[in-house]
Amino acid sequence: MKRWLTEGFVLVIAGVVAFPLFWMVLSAFKPEDEIISADPVPWTTRPTLDSFTRALTVANFGRYFLNSVVVALIVVALSILISFLAATALTRFRFRSRTTLLIMLLVVQMVPVEALTVPLFFLMRSVGDSVPAFGLNHLGSLVLVHLAFSLPFAIWMLRGFVAAVPVELEEAATLDGASRFRFLWQVLFPLVAPGLVATSVLSFIHAWNDFLFAKTFIISAVENQTLPLALQVFVKPDQNDWGAIMAGSTLMTIPVLIFFMLVQRRLMSGLAGAVKG
Amino acid sequence: MRLKTLVAVLGVGAVVACAPVQSGPTNTSTDEKTGQLRVWLFDEVNRGPKEAVVKEAISEFQGKHNGVTVDVQYIQVSSRAERFKAAFSDPKSAPDVAEFGNTDLAGYVSAGGFSELDLNGWSESKDLVPTILDTAKVDGKTYGVPWFVGVRALYYRTDVFAELGLKPPATLDEIAPLARQIRQRKPELIGISAGGKYLFAALPFIWANGGEIAKQDGGKFTATIDSAEAKAGVAKYAELIKDDICPPATCAGNGGDASVEAFRAGKAAMTIGGDFNRKSVDASSAAGKYAVVPLPGKTAGSIAPAFAGGNLLGVMKGTQRKTLANEFVQLLASKKYQQKMYTAMGNLPTFSDVQKQVSDSDKFLEPFTKTLQSGTKFVPVTPAWAKIEAQTVLPTMIQEVVTGAKNVDAAAASAAQTMNAAFAS
Amino acid sequence: MTARGQGRTAFAYLTPALLVLAGLLAYPIYQLVLISLYDYGQEQVSGGAPLTFLGLGNYQNLLGNQQFWTVLGQTVAFAAVCVVGTLIVGAFLAILATTVRTWVRMTLFLAALGAWSTPAVAGSTIWLFLFDANFGFVNEVLGIQGFSWTFDKWTAFGLVAAQVIWCSFPFVMVTLYAGIKAIPGEVLEAAALDGASAFRTAWSVTLPLLRPIILVVTIQSIIWDFKVFTQIYVMTNGGGIAGRNLVLNVYAYQQAFAASEYGLGAAIGVVMTVLLLVITLFYLRALRRSGEAL
Repeated sequence: MKRWLTEGFVLVIAGVVAFPLFWMVLSAFKPEDEIISADPVPWTTRPTLDSFTRALTVANFGRYFLNSVVVALIVVALSILISFLAATALTRFRFRSRTTLLIMLLVVQMVPVEALTVPLFFLMRSVGDSVPAFGLNHLGSLVLVHLAFSLPFAIWMLRGFVAAVPVELEEAATLDGASRFRFLWQVLFPLVAPGLVATSVLSFIHAWNDFLFAKTFIISAVENQTLPLALQVFVKPDQNDWGAIMAGSTLMTIPVLIFFMLVQRRLMSGLAGAVKG
Repeated sequence: MRLKTLVAVLGVGAVVACAPVQSGPTNTSTDEKTGQLRVWLFDEVNRGPKEAVVKEAISEFQGKHNGVTVDVQYIQVSSRAERFKAAFSDPKSAPDVAEFGNTDLAGYVSAGGFSELDLNGWSESKDLVPTILDTAKVDGKTYGVPWFVGVRALYYRTDVFAELGLKPPATLDEIAPLARQIRQRKPELIGISAGGKYLFAALPFIWANGGEIAKQDGGKFTATIDSAEAKAGVAKYAELIKDDICPPATCAGNGGDASVEAFRAGKAAMTIGGDFNRKSVDASSAAGKYAVVPLPGKTAGSIAPAFAGGNLLGVMKGTQRKTLANEFVQLLASKKYQQKMYTAMGNLPTFSDVQKQVSDSDKFLEPFTKTLQSGTKFVPVTPAWAKIEAQTVLPTMIQEVVTGAKNVDAAAASAAQTMNAAFAS
Repeated sequence: MTARGQGRTAFAYLTPALLVLAGLLAYPIYQLVLISLYDYGQEQVSGGAPLTFLGLGNYQNLLGNQQFWTVLGQTVAFAAVCVVGTLIVGAFLAILATTVRTWVRMTLFLAALGAWSTPAVAGSTIWLFLFDANFGFVNEVLGIQGFSWTFDKWTAFGLVAAQVIWCSFPFVMVTLYAGIKAIPGEVLEAAALDGASAFRTAWSVTLPLLRPIILVVTIQSIIWDFKVFTQIYVMTNGGGIAGRNLVLNVYAYQQAFAASEYGLGAAIGVVMTVLLLVITLFYLRALRRSGEAL
């Protein structure tokens, strides 16, 4: 009896939490007159793909989508590689500046990234003078900043996973004559896979969600803009095109959601690992 | 050990660059004749017709120039400051051509954003109205081609006024009681749609009361927004954004576009709108049920000094396609396309002959041309103004008054303080 | 392996990370501090005007500005509300999740994952639409059509806080749930055998065991909520009517990019970082006290 009550309550909460997303998807399928109706109802009898069509055609959504995917995937790949190496170094080896480095990793997470927009803007401008592909107005600049911002947390989180792999395993592998390099990629790497997955999710989301840097760095190159900016196209001086905004938001949320669903089990153990250090 | 070396090396590298970066001189030596021309235009209420005209110009332009594509991006007026600043800071990522407001001209030019235009080779340029062309000049040099003149007047709903047996206001002071009366009798309507961020609607109130934003003394500006006259004007305007006329919850956050939008949606009995808003109102639920009169002044029969707005088309300094950019500006600002823009949006042309031709044939324009002829005013011509506008100093003052956060005296005093700081910098 | 060899290998592994962090974080932070010491406006950026070294001028300016203190107070209060809200909701649901059957828990977690994975821009926009004065479903249900949630200072802050809690409680919930699950069953059984009520068990057995995790999620939440940007920027249209919904991060951004006061904007960024660093110090001390090694 009591459990029923609790479970009912939990389900209601789940409903409330999911409601904004439900409303988003629903509004994306509603015909225009129902969206800007004075009496909104939580269902529709006339679902339509109009809003999606507008979002995909008017705003060049496909292109933006592709840009976002490219940026996010490159960031994920690079951050996995770099943070794996760094986390291994920080857990498997003892050296003098180790503690200092760890503290610095924590400290840099404190810096409000928005405050760094100004110096990063000028940095990317200079980078662009020598390597245009990484300069302002290009996707490369976004890859660089997101990589930098996702690394500290990624390293911090991966540390726990690397530490959890018994040192004896390494010794055994070395005895078998495996080179350090082979051990790293063929033994350690697969073993910390759950952690890598968790890390990659967070890096992916970081890059995927970014609004500020895309807004600031991609100055005039429409063809290099990313998804969050596409949503702004439908925020208009007269009447926001809510249908298209919701369709765009849906398209933008789905990949992250799928990604999350696929890895949620590993993500949870990953987070637990990270917080338990 | 090694780590320390690395840290040290990085440290040295950082110390070498011991001052914040500045951009070097802009390299404008290249002048490519093909490729993509990037254009920034302002987004508008009911942008469709503007877009159609621009598209026509683009296809004409692309037809004339092989291997050239023109890419237009519509940017929000409200966030233009950030966009333009980013573009100025990295000239090579900036667009080639941009539309910009004449109030921003001085600031943009001093930031080194736009290049000087040579209009001598352009035959149509001699017909540009000289006073309008002056709004595109800084220190005698021309930095843009005036694309249209923007002047605002009072839009009102003829059906509502007829139903209630009302006449349009004869003086500025009559507006508030009139609007209040309308809202009292038709509570679903906003008396007059006035926005807390709609500076260009507020300025005539300040000017008509004898106030000024700032005064110039030997090249130095001092804010006078805290003078008794200016404050009287601010109070008069703020009176409109009250629950019994235009509820702050709806109106305080509105700029010009949103204020006109409420009128378009049929939710307001009056608003202050520009010539450029006309076609969008014609395409709304207020179509055929409205008329326009000049915004009245303090005494019956007079007209409140209006703000002489208008947008320019300019060539950005960092462009690598200078010739093409110039040609595109001259095409889009040409008589032919100004005429088309007039038909599409209602924008008042900047060529004397085209202006005369459209106002002769169109009775509708009369209130606007009358307002123009009775004398207009402008914001302080100084680079500091772009900054003052970007900091939304005056809109913040109005919003503070209408939300009751500060009284008129306190709000005007702090606005004057911020303005003076900007003038001094 | 020799200590020297260890150091060398470690260094090799760390090089890529160090390069990225030094170039793209340390150097910009250094530049940020530098810029905050100069009069750095648009003309200086474009190279049209010489740089003036102000020393602490920007900071003096900032600390003498009434608006800065108002915004700082708002930021702290706003972050506090968000952190407390996130923790309460997250902890409460994590505890509930341990008492229900798997499918119910999965439903809750799926919903939470949805909220968590929604991009901030999209999430803010959805909430704005739900609470829209005229077309919003919430106003329709409450029968208060035309009521603007984003106009009044407090309802606007409340709405943004609710959105922030919505998208950040899942992290707390999932982490705490994992933590509770990791507590050996015998401990709880022993408590139950002792006749302790569920509430007592939670309060005097589970909670103390979870202390380190709670500490970590608290600090993470503080860091995140103190730096909220997108939600305020999108939902209150850049800081609300007359800037009364500004928080430090948005304030800094506007000083820098809208008003071209890059120096002042940088100074605000430095102040924020220092404030967060103080919090980190507490974090490190607490970590050490709870017996964890770095």
